[in-house]
Amino acid sequence: MDEWKPNPAVKPHKKRSWYLAWKYKLMNQRALRKLCQTGAVLFLLVTVIVNIKLILDTRRAAYEEEEESAQDYDDEMLNVEVPRHPVNNKKVLDVEVYSSRSKVYVAVDGTTVLEDEAREQGRGIHVIVLNQATGHVMAKRVFDTYSPHEDEAMVLFLNMVARGRILIFTIKDEGSFHLKETAKNVLKSLGSQVAPFLSWRDMWTFVGKKGGEVYGEKHAKSPALSTWGDPVLLKTEVHLTSVEDAECHWPDTELNRRRKRFCSKVEGYGSVCSCKDPTPIEFNPDPLKDNKVFDVPVAVIAGNRPNYLYRMLRSLLSAQGVNPQMITVFIDGYYEEPMDVVELFGLSGIQHTPISIKNARVSQHYKASLTATFNLFPDAKFAVVLEEDLDISVDFFSFLSQSIHLLEEDESLYCISAWNDQGYEHTAEDPSLLYRVETMPGLGWVLRKSLYKDELEPKWPTPEKLWDWDMWMRMPEQRKGRECIIPDISRSYHFGIVGLNMNGYFHEAYFKKHKFNTVPNVQLKNVESLRKENYETEIHRLLGEAEVLDHSENPCEDSFVPDTEGRVYVMFIKMEQEADFTTWTQLAKCLHIWDLDVRGNHKGLWRLFRKKNHFLVVGVPASPYSSKKPSSVTPIYMEPPAKEEGAVAVPAVAAAEQT
Amino acid sequence: MQKINRNVVLALLSLTSLVFLLFQLCYYKFYLSQKNGAAFSKVRGSQSGQDSTRWHVVRKFLGLISSHNIPVYLIDPLILGLVDKDIEQIRSSPGGPSPECKYFCAPRDFTTFALLDKAWKHEVGLFRTAEKMGFQWLKVINKDPRLDGMDDLSGMEIPLHYIFKLASHAIHLVVFYERSGNFLWHGPLRLKQHMDRKFVPFRKLHFGRYPGAYEKPELLLVSIDDLKVQIPKNPSSFLQEMSHSRFLECRYREARAFFQLYPDDASLDTVEFRKKAKSLLHLAALTLNNLGVKFWLSSGTCLGWYRQCNIIPHSKDVDLGIFIRDYKADIIPAFQKAGLPLKHKFGKVEDSLELSFQGEDDVKLDIFFFYEEHDHIWNGGTQAKSGKKFKYLFPKFTLCWTEFVELKVHVPCETLQYVEANYGPEWKVPVKTWDWKSSPSNVQDNGVWPVDEWDDVIQIY
Repeated sequence: MDEWKPNPAVKPHKKRSWYLAWKYKLMNQRALRKLCQTGAVLFLLVTVIVNIKLILDTRRAAYEEEEESAQDYDDEMLNVEVPRHPVNNKKVLDVEVYSSRSKVYVAVDGTTVLEDEAREQGRGIHVIVLNQATGHVMAKRVFDTYSPHEDEAMVLFLNMVARGRILIFTIKDEGSFHLKETAKNVLKSLGSQVAPFLSWRDMWTFVGKKGGEVYGEKHAKSPALSTWGDPVLLKTEVHLTSVEDAECHWPDTELNRRRKRFCSKVEGYGSVCSCKDPTPIEFNPDPLKDNKVFDVPVAVIAGNRPNYLYRMLRSLLSAQGVNPQMITVFIDGYYEEPMDVVELFGLSGIQHTPISIKNARVSQHYKASLTATFNLFPDAKFAVVLEEDLDISVDFFSFLSQSIHLLEEDESLYCISAWNDQGYEHTAEDPSLLYRVETMPGLGWVLRKSLYKDELEPKWPTPEKLWDWDMWMRMPEQRKGRECIIPDISRSYHFGIVGLNMNGYFHEAYFKKHKFNTVPNVQLKNVESLRKENYETEIHRLLGEAEVLDHSENPCEDSFVPDTEGRVYVMFIKMEQEADFTTWTQLAKCLHIWDLDVRGNHKGLWRLFRKKNHFLVVGVPASPYSSKKPSSVTPIYMEPPAKEEGAVAVPAVAAAEQT
Repeated sequence: MQKINRNVVLALLSLTSLVFLLFQLCYYKFYLSQKNGAAFSKVRGSQSGQDSTRWHVVRKFLGLISSHNIPVYLIDPLILGLVDKDIEQIRSSPGGPSPECKYFCAPRDFTTFALLDKAWKHEVGLFRTAEKMGFQWLKVINKDPRLDGMDDLSGMEIPLHYIFKLASHAIHLVVFYERSGNFLWHGPLRLKQHMDRKFVPFRKLHFGRYPGAYEKPELLLVSIDDLKVQIPKNPSSFLQEMSHSRFLECRYREARAFFQLYPDDASLDTVEFRKKAKSLLHLAALTLNNLGVKFWLSSGTCLGWYRQCNIIPHSKDVDLGIFIRDYKADIIPAFQKAGLPLKHKFGKVEDSLELSFQGEDDVKLDIFFFYEEHDHIWNGGTQAKSGKKFKYLFPKFTLCWTEFVELKVHVPCETLQYVEANYGPEWKVPVKTWDWKSSPSNVQDNGVWPVDEWDDVIQIY
C-alpha cells in the first residue's frame, strides 16, 4: 500500500469488457477521475491510521495488563513446587527386606523406607504397611516381642490394617521370646509358613498382602542358643492394584473426602477407615447453655504420637460445648502423620521447627504455641492448653464455663486446671467439688493472657536452658504465691505411656488409677467459695465441723478412717516449717497417691477422700489452720526411709515431671 | 494495460480497505467495551438508568452467602460514596421498595464485600453451592502474617481474597483478620504462578494492591435498591480510613537475621524496660488517639521496629513524631491527666517544638513535631544549657500502619529513607552511645535561640 504512487501518464488499454469500457468512459472525465483517486488515497490513509492506532492500543493494553500483573499482583516468590511424587505408572514394586542381629532395612523400589542399625534399640518385629495401589508407606511399627504383651499390641495392630494392604515383616535381634500362639496364628493366617515355628534368635522376613497372596518369605534358623541366625535378605516383586480397588466406596460428602484422603495415606486407626460403617469423624456434642468458654482458644500441644493425638482429638471433639473453630494443634516438628490426623478432623494445625533438645525443646514448643495462640486470637483473654496424651472429660468445657469468671476476677489465681494430682480412684469422690491449691498441675489448664503476655512470655526460659516449662512455671518467682483451681475428680485423663519423662512402669504407678469424670453436665457446688477470702471461711467451716481422728492409730491403715460415708475427718501431721514435707511424703506414699513431690496443698492443708469421707490433713505447726488442733492431740510424725533409698528417690523426682 | 491495471488495483484496494475499516471499527468498539466494562455496550440500558446484570449478580451473591449464614458487609468505595450522600434517608427508611435502582445498577466490573474470618467456618459447601448457581470463583491464599513473627512456625495458608464471577460482573470478597492491637487486617492480592491472571481485570480492584489495616467497624443493616446489606455505620469515615489504610508488615526475616548477628539482651532489666516502654507506648497511643492526633514511631522506636521488630533495650525512651499541623494545645493537659507529667518543652509551635513527658521509672516519652517544607520535612532540637538549635532533615514521607507491641501504629511508609536519614547507612549496627546533637547523620546547626525568648522556648520541669 505504501509503495503505491498514482501515475496519470499511463494510457488506458482499448480492448476490454463492458465494465471496463464503462469505467474507461468515466476515466475520461478528468475531474471525476481525480476525485476518485484522491478519495481512494484519503480512504486508504484513514485506514492506515485507524489500523496503526488499533495496533498501538491493543499493544499498550496488553502490555499494561502484563505489567500490572507482573508488578502488583504477582507473588514475589516463584512457586517452584515440584509435584512431590511423580506419577508412577509402574505396576510392579521391587521390595528388599533384610533381617539380622544388628540391622534391619526395607527398600521399596530402591528407596529405603526403614533402616535401623542403632544399638540397643529397635529389637523385635518391624512391620511396614504399604498402600497396595500407590506403594506409599502407610504405617511403620516395631513390636518388641522379646518382651511380654508386645505381641498382643501387634495382633491388635494387624487386625486394624485394612484388607488388601501389603505387609512387610522383619526381625531385628530377637522377636520370638514372647511371641505367643495367638500372634503366631495371625501371622500364619497372613500366609506365613515359618511363623508358627519361629524360635529363639531366628532371623525372618516376610512380604504378603493382607487377605491375599504371599510375595516372599525367608528364614534363617539360629544354630544354637548363644548365636543368632544368619542375616537374611529377601528380594521380591509386588504387583500394584488400581486405585479404585484400594479405596472404599463411601458416599461422596465433605467428611468422607477427608476420610478418604486420610485412609489412603495412613494405617492403624481401625474403624475410621473401614468400608462398612466407618466410625464418625464429626461428633456434634450437645451445645452448652450459656457457654462462657465458647470463644476461648484451645491449643493442643503435640509431638509425633499420631495415635495419641487421634484419641485425644476424638475425646476433645466429643466434649459438650466444644468449638472446633477455636482449636489449633501445634505439632513439634515436620511430622506428616499428626498433620494428617488434624486434617482428618478438619481442624487447623501448625508445625513448629524443633528448637533445642529434650526438655528445652518441649519448653520452646510451648512458648511458640502459646504466643501463636494469642496472635491468632487477639481478642482472647484466656487460652486452654491441652496435650496430645489426654482424654478430655465430657463436661470439660462445662467445668471451665462455670469457673472461668474466677480466673478473670480473682487476682490471686494462677490457673484453672482440669487435673487433680491427688485425685485417684480411692481418693476422689465428688465431681461438683473444687479446691484451691498452691501447685500448678497442668494436664489440661487455662492460662490468662495477661499472665502470659506481661509476665511469662518476656522471661520464658531460653533454648539453652534445659528446663521443664511446667517446673519453671511452678517456681516461686513465677507463681508469686498465686493458686490454681482444680476439681476433686479430674476432667482430664493422662493416658500416655510413651513420652519424654514417661514409661510403662511409671504410668502404671502414678497415672493409671487416676479418677476421671464421665458424668455430663455436672453442676459445680458453691463456686463463689473458691475466691480467696471465701475459701478461708469455707476451710474454717470445714475444720469446725470435722471430727478429729484417733491419732494413736497408724494413718496408713484402712481402719484409721471409720467405715462411714459423707463425714468430714481431720488429722494433724508434723510440719515444722512451710517447706517441711517429711511426714506428708510418707503419708502420700502409703496412701498410694502422688509422692514424688508435693502437690495439692493449700497453706499446709491437703484435702482428699478416704472411704467416701472427706479427709483433711493439716501440717502442724506450719499451717495457719494448726489452731484448730485440739491441745490433746499430738501431730503424727512419720520417719523417712533410710538414706540410700532417699538418694534413689531424687532422680525419680526429676524424671517424674509429666510432659 | 497499465492504466486499467492501475484503476482496477485502486478500486480493489479501496474496496478491501473499506471492508477492513468496517471490521476494524467493529473490533475496536468491541475491544473497548470489553475493557471498559459497560462503557459502550450498556449505553442502551443506561436510558432507564439500570444495569440489571450487576444488580442480579449482587442479589444472587447475597442469597448465596445468607443461605450459608455468612455475615458479609459492603465495602465497595463507589457504592459507599453514593450511599454516604443519602445516608440520612437510608437510615430513616429501612425496607420498603425503592422506586429506582440507584446504587447497584451503575455499571461496574466489581462489587466489593468484606468478610470477617472468624465469622465463618471455611465450609467447602459454599463453593459448591456457588458453582451450582453459576458462579466461577477464585481463591487467593497466602501465609498467615500472624505467625510470621514467629521464627519457626508454619501453619496452613489462609484465604485472603475471593472473587466470584457471574456473567460480566464479579464480586470481590475481602477477608479481614483480627490482629493483636485490636484492629482488622486484610492481605495483599498476589497471584500465584498457576493462576488465571485474566480471570478478572485485577488492576481495577479497590482492595489488594497493598495490605490494609482498619478499625473494627460498626455495622448497619440497610435496604438499598431492594437489597438488604450490611454497611459500615459511618460510610464517610470508612472511606476516609480506606484512603490511608496501607499496612506494612514488620520485617521479621531481617529482624531474625539481626538477632543472629546481635543476640537479644535477655536480662531482667531489658524485660522490665521493654514492659514499661510498651505500656508507655500504649498509654501515649490511647491519649493521642482520643485527641484525634495522628502520630508515628520516630527515632529509636522506629529503628527498633524496622530493625528488630521490638523495642531497643538500651534506648531508654519512647519517641513519637507528630506533624505540626496536627498540633493541639490539649496535648500537654491530656498527657498530664493520663499520669505523664511534662518534663520539658523546647521550642514553640512556630519553630522546633519538642515535648518530653516523664513515664514510669525514668522511661521518657519524647514527642517531636515535624515541619513540612516543599521538598523535605524537619524537626528541631534544642540544647538546654546553651540555647543552641538543631535541625534534623528528612526526605518527604507518607504514613503507613503497622503492628508493634500489640498496637496498631503509624510508621513512615518510606521507612528505610527515614531511618537512613536519621541513623546513616550503618543503622544496622547497634550503637550504645548516641549523642543526639552530633550522632544523627541528618543534624544541622540552626542558630541559637534569642536570650529573651529562653524562658518560653526552654522549659524544664
